[in-house]
Amino acid sequence: MLYDKIKAIYPELTDTDFWTVITLQNDSDGKGDYIAKWEHPTLPRPTDEELA
Amino acid sequence: MAISKIVQDSINGGVAGSGPAFSAFNSLTTSLPNATFTKIPFNTEVFDTNNNFASGTFTPTVAGYYQLNSGLGLGTYIASATIFSIYKNGTEFYRGIVQPNTAVSVSSVISALAYANGTDTFEIYAFQNSGTTQTTSASSTGAWFNGSLVRAA
Repeated sequence: MLYDKIKAIYPELTDTDFWTVITLQNDSDGKGDYIAKWEHPTLPRPTDEELA
Repeated sequence: MAISKIVQDSINGGVAGSGPAFSAFNSLTTSLPNATFTKIPFNTEVFDTNNNFASGTFTPTVAGYYQLNSGLGLGTYIASATIFSIYKNGTEFYRGIVQPNTAVSVSSVISALAYANGTDTFEIYAFQNSGTTQTTSASSTGAWFNGSLVRAA
């Protein structure tokens, strides 16, 4: 899952981060999970290569 | 001049008239990946007066103010927060957070009044961060989404 990949890159992220500064989203359209919002104050959005 | 029928377009602002109204429910469970806002499909329509609801998305074609309501739950108890949100045009618009403190299945209702310009879309998304994938409830009484025009633009 996308969440697991992001946590592997940034283990310091908290549960609260994922419903405040970060939004993972799935539109139930068969395209899977994606990062809809990344507004973490200190950690940059993971690259597509890091998430592959 | 006799008036045989008044259509929505001929009604001045402030009158709802026979605006769009819909009601749908989820007859199948929806899988919620951990920490991911997931769209709920609400695959079964009860009614859809203006054919403005499809695939879990309400796109009212009459501009105005809409009352939107949704009830949703998880099939089990989780100790972490659960969020049910109304999305407008693909972005979270209103949020309802459920933080259970007893070991019962999580469920809640979210309700909001929102303006629609005639092309805006409205959907319901759910979020949980239990650490594993959860599934939503699936029934006409436990997983539903409805809305109607309450005031024309």
